[in-house]
Amino acid sequence: MENAYKPHLVTIESIRDETPDVRTLRLAFRDPEVAESFTFRAGQFAEYSVFGEGECVFCIASPPTRHGYVECSFKLMGKVTSALRDMEVGDVIGFRGPYGNWFPIEEFFGHNMLFIGGGIGMAPVRSILLNCLDLRDQFREITILNGARSVADIVYKEEVAEWQKRPDITCVCTVDPGGEDPSWTGEIGFIPTVLEKMAPSAEDTYAVLCGPPIMIKLTLQVLEKLGFPPERVYTTLENKMKCGFGKCGRCNVGPVYVCKDGPVFTAAQLQQLPPDF
Amino acid sequence: MSEKLLLLNDLHSFADALIKSGFSVVAPSKGPGPSRFRRIGSASELLMPDVNTEIPPKEHLFPPTEPLLFFRFHGTDVELLDPPLPAEETVFLGLRPCDAAGIALLDAVFLADPKDSFYEARRSKTTLVSVACTKVGENCFCSAVGLSPHSRTGSDVLLIPVEGGFLTEAVTEKGRTLLEKHSGLFQPTDASTPKPPEVPRSAAPEGLDKDFAELFAAPYWQDAAKRCLGCGACASVCPTCHCFDIVDDSGARGGVRLRCWDACGLELFTRHASGHNPRPNQPARFRQRLLHKFAYSRKSLGRPLCVGCGRCVDTCPVGMDIYEVAVLMSQGV
Repeated sequence: MENAYKPHLVTIESIRDETPDVRTLRLAFRDPEVAESFTFRAGQFAEYSVFGEGECVFCIASPPTRHGYVECSFKLMGKVTSALRDMEVGDVIGFRGPYGNWFPIEEFFGHNMLFIGGGIGMAPVRSILLNCLDLRDQFREITILNGARSVADIVYKEEVAEWQKRPDITCVCTVDPGGEDPSWTGEIGFIPTVLEKMAPSAEDTYAVLCGPPIMIKLTLQVLEKLGFPPERVYTTLENKMKCGFGKCGRCNVGPVYVCKDGPVFTAAQLQQLPPDF
Repeated sequence: MSEKLLLLNDLHSFADALIKSGFSVVAPSKGPGPSRFRRIGSASELLMPDVNTEIPPKEHLFPPTEPLLFFRFHGTDVELLDPPLPAEETVFLGLRPCDAAGIALLDAVFLADPKDSFYEARRSKTTLVSVACTKVGENCFCSAVGLSPHSRTGSDVLLIPVEGGFLTEAVTEKGRTLLEKHSGLFQPTDASTPKPPEVPRSAAPEGLDKDFAELFAAPYWQDAAKRCLGCGACASVCPTCHCFDIVDDSGARGGVRLRCWDACGLELFTRHASGHNPRPNQPARFRQRLLHKFAYSRKSLGRPLCVGCGRCVDTCPVGMDIYEVAVLMSQGV
């Protein structure tokens, strides 16, 4: 029987520093058969390991529409992310996954999309956002609100600049008050405040958001005020996880395990859970 | 073998016969430290306590620490190796019905898709021969969680002590096969099944499968958890607790990825690397333990994640009693 805890070996193909402490790795499967057969859906996550240091969990930040590699973005935080930052192009790490559920992109077809990402929370949003952009014809208006603590902390800067140039996308960028610099031309304000000011129409629109717990909480309130039904608001929870497939018990919230019943939940589903995440 | 059977004499003859026919036998046995299940080399090591062993047999299916993966470094390259899986056919002999029910709960977790290959390798080779209780421990409360001193849940064979031996019942096909292999030890009987002993702590915690928000926000948690030290002793003696951590241990040439038991009562269990902890204090962690066992699992597994063995109550250094809190939960406040 297959060892469910044995990762695939992946090689670091390229490294991109998004901010002073957020880095994106592009990873390629070592085994050509795995590279050929590997599939995932936007919203799913994986366990990444530095052998000898341990595993940690991030979403897959690249879209399933781009083949031959997966990308992850991580923030320098603890033991494994420190070790991961010491890795160089060509080094080998472990990848277990994909795990968890995903954004129901087919359900989004034919609707307006609103994407909201705060800080590193933009990583899971990026996967579904790029997925939608790669299938642009399937969607009506696409609006992006990307926020960060400061100008330096804005992730995916190059892509954000591209999105801002595209006529078929509305992309607003904001930094927390005090996080602006003299050359900053974007918004200044916390995401919920800026969102309220933008007041995007809730009609025929799905919202996808991710960010720090407090940002999610306050942004959900604004979306409700704007008339978004909770069934059309999607977010993704980032609990501490070890196994990734419903055994280790760590991500249990109420009757669900975030790793197998999530990480993608609608606001309606979150309302059913005890406030324990 | 549909008629009632009597196992003659005692468990010792059965244990020796099993060992002789090549089974690895894991049973309550003599040894240092708390009473527990060990692999026995002969029936002379067998020691059945009147009530539960202090440590459940869980550790023989789900060890406190076990390798999930070995890795070797070759320059910047890495080689991955699978740990060997156990190959021995094993009989757990003399476990109490609550412990067999505990293993059934572990099955529900570890054998759900995707299966845990390590647990499955051991479990598929394990036959559970339980012995019904004739005495009830001070803190037992199996009857409160839908079980009884004669429960069949999880067992392959149930032995009920009677005058002159054990009334023997094959509960599963696996159990029937085992008995057939050792048919010389049994003889037909018309002895009637004795009544199980009464369990005084039997107030069933009802109505805990819904209104999680209400249970979560209940006013008693702060008070109920006041004494909790967050030591995790309750989880370490629990036959159903299955939470674990995964850690690497390595040197210059390679290393091992281990899984180690963990517990929701411990502070680091849910603390993110950022410092954010969704359960930042002991009452929040104690509440999680109780809600997971008595409320959430009724929805996710269809039954409580507790078999009423009472070991956590026996073991708690400050005398906390999960049964009393479960009763409190079901009464509402």
